[in-house]
Amino acid sequence: MSNGARPPGREQGGAGGRSAIARLLHPVDSVIAIGIIAFCGWLLYETGQFDEVSFLFSQNIPPELFPRILIVVIILFCLALPFEHILLTRKGKDIDKGRRDKVSGMTWLTMLVLVATVSASPLLGTYLTMVAVCIVLPLLWHERRLHYILAFAAVFPAAVTVLFNLVLGVFFEPGMIGIAFH
Amino acid sequence: MEPVVTGLSLLLDPLNIGLILGGVLIGVLVGALPGLSSPMAIALLIPFTIQLEPIPAISMMAALYCAGTFGGSITAILINAPGAPPAAATALDGYPMAKKGEAGRALGLATISSVTGGIFSLVIFIFAAPMLATLALKFRPPEYFALSVFALSMLASISGKSSLRNLISGAFGVLIGTIGVHLTTGVERFTFDIPELTEGIHFVPVLIGLFAMGELLSQSQTLDVAYERIRATAMKLPSRDDIRRVKWTILRSSGLGTFIGILPAEGSTVAAIMGYNEAKRWSKNKDQFGQGCPEGIAGPEAANNAATGGAMVPTLALGIPGSGSTALILAALIMHGLRPGPYLVNETPEFIYAIFGAMLVANVGFLAIGLIGAKFFSLVTLVPPRLLWPAVFTFSMIGSYSYGASMFDVWVMIISGIVGFFMLRHGFGPAPLVMGLILGKLVEETFSQSMIIYDNNFLALFESPIVVGFFLLTAASLLSPLYPLVRDRVSSAMAGKIRVPGE
Repeated sequence: MSNGARPPGREQGGAGGRSAIARLLHPVDSVIAIGIIAFCGWLLYETGQFDEVSFLFSQNIPPELFPRILIVVIILFCLALPFEHILLTRKGKDIDKGRRDKVSGMTWLTMLVLVATVSASPLLGTYLTMVAVCIVLPLLWHERRLHYILAFAAVFPAAVTVLFNLVLGVFFEPGMIGIAFH
Repeated sequence: MEPVVTGLSLLLDPLNIGLILGGVLIGVLVGALPGLSSPMAIALLIPFTIQLEPIPAISMMAALYCAGTFGGSITAILINAPGAPPAAATALDGYPMAKKGEAGRALGLATISSVTGGIFSLVIFIFAAPMLATLALKFRPPEYFALSVFALSMLASISGKSSLRNLISGAFGVLIGTIGVHLTTGVERFTFDIPELTEGIHFVPVLIGLFAMGELLSQSQTLDVAYERIRATAMKLPSRDDIRRVKWTILRSSGLGTFIGILPAEGSTVAAIMGYNEAKRWSKNKDQFGQGCPEGIAGPEAANNAATGGAMVPTLALGIPGSGSTALILAALIMHGLRPGPYLVNETPEFIYAIFGAMLVANVGFLAIGLIGAKFFSLVTLVPPRLLWPAVFTFSMIGSYSYGASMFDVWVMIISGIVGFFMLRHGFGPAPLVMGLILGKLVEETFSQSMIIYDNNFLALFESPIVVGFFLLTAASLLSPLYPLVRDRVSSAMAGKIRVPGE
């Protein structure tokens, strides 16, 4: 196996102290496989909680049958996941290429802002939410040309409102602030 | 003849022509912007076209699909950043040619190859779709079940990092499709006492989340990437010498691209890579590849655009998507209350001719746009990403909300986006999940019907030779990733056998 075939962790720890099977397993993919299998286990349990119906009514196809088949198929695929890197390396593919670096702080912050924005939208209403997005996201991403941001926050939400609300008739929530203002 | 006239006359409505040209314009813009893709644009467009009649809505999306595939080549040639994945192979020779000061020639070759490939595949589409649909009329639920399982198994060979991960994504997509009330018994499945889940999860917010939000989060890590820009000159139509040099490459790639497009789950990206490889394999100037070789531009461009027409064949004739983008078009058809498949093709043939006409107009449209506006479209990459992505988020939010006027859908979009980001990071593509989600209902429905027909005897499925044929193809497709491993073993064993003793 070439150097590129080594899963992360082998370089640091060395291969000497690890069993042959441990060397075949990709550590990150093993964790992912365990996570998915655990999730599937929970889903499998959930299928047991579906309401029972008579075989006559369900025409011998109980509602849990198809999801159970799918879950078992997913589990079977996941069992092969920790070993897949061996095949991929032979094909010259690097499965760790996109995930070698940690998720950046900026991405976590962006996720947080997106969640916060959607949470605030019942209060702000659609229009003010759009304005907030147009101001907060560029500022978060270190856009420092304030005149750009202000022009964007003034023009873009207005244009979207005219096109979608007035022309296409999409309903825009006024939000609590909008209702209070009225 | 009457359906042809009816179908094409439906397109002559000024609104339809306007929508198709609008689709072409959006497609080229979106294709040219690195990060934005035509599946993302189609996903964002779906909720806003719900109010339109099915033909104009689907025509607009089909036009966007064709133009988006072409648009990616503009930035691939001018800034070495393929605006869309199918244009990645074009950059290999397009950018070196542009660096030599022949950007206009490279753009001209790309445009002519794209248009030829697109029109070639449309001719095949217009003959193949009704033929396939007539054949599919003989299919009963067991055959349909086997066909949809085969389509899902093709996810193993779809482009992406890993076949196994594509299959897991696809299976999860099918599983998400089971959320909600079971149609036969009325039993709630995986609803967790959340009232909104009884209707199941709508396609639109999931599609928008996976394609737009997932990409937004990925892009948030690379906002400072600067591209080396080559000064765009006006596009130059290929010279007679160029045409003579690439004509067979274009023809070969058009056929190859159409065939790959017709295969379920394969798409323009696979077609472009194969088009490039075949162009190189057949070329007399192999050493020029990678240094601005005209065949290196014509091969992938003809193939990726030919795949668009090819992919529409199984989508409309069988209801099995030919690619990620056509999976979204299929979702749009379902949302318009149409059931894509042989009955749609045989009972409303004018629909097929209208889509054919729309894609033809789109191909001519992006030829005109390419000739007139390539220079302008290369400038769209100057739009600051720090303003572009908030705009995409705004559209995503409004698109998800407007479909069902429910904040629940916006949350589904956000969660899908975050899940999609981590999926992409670990090599699980969003396109297979979408395919699974869209095919899921068909798979379960045909499985249940087959089991009822055969009184729960699964082995009885094998009585049908068509089913056996599809299951054999499924097995071949699932085992295809192991082929290189077996080939290496065999060749090393052979090498061992012929080794001279003592050497």
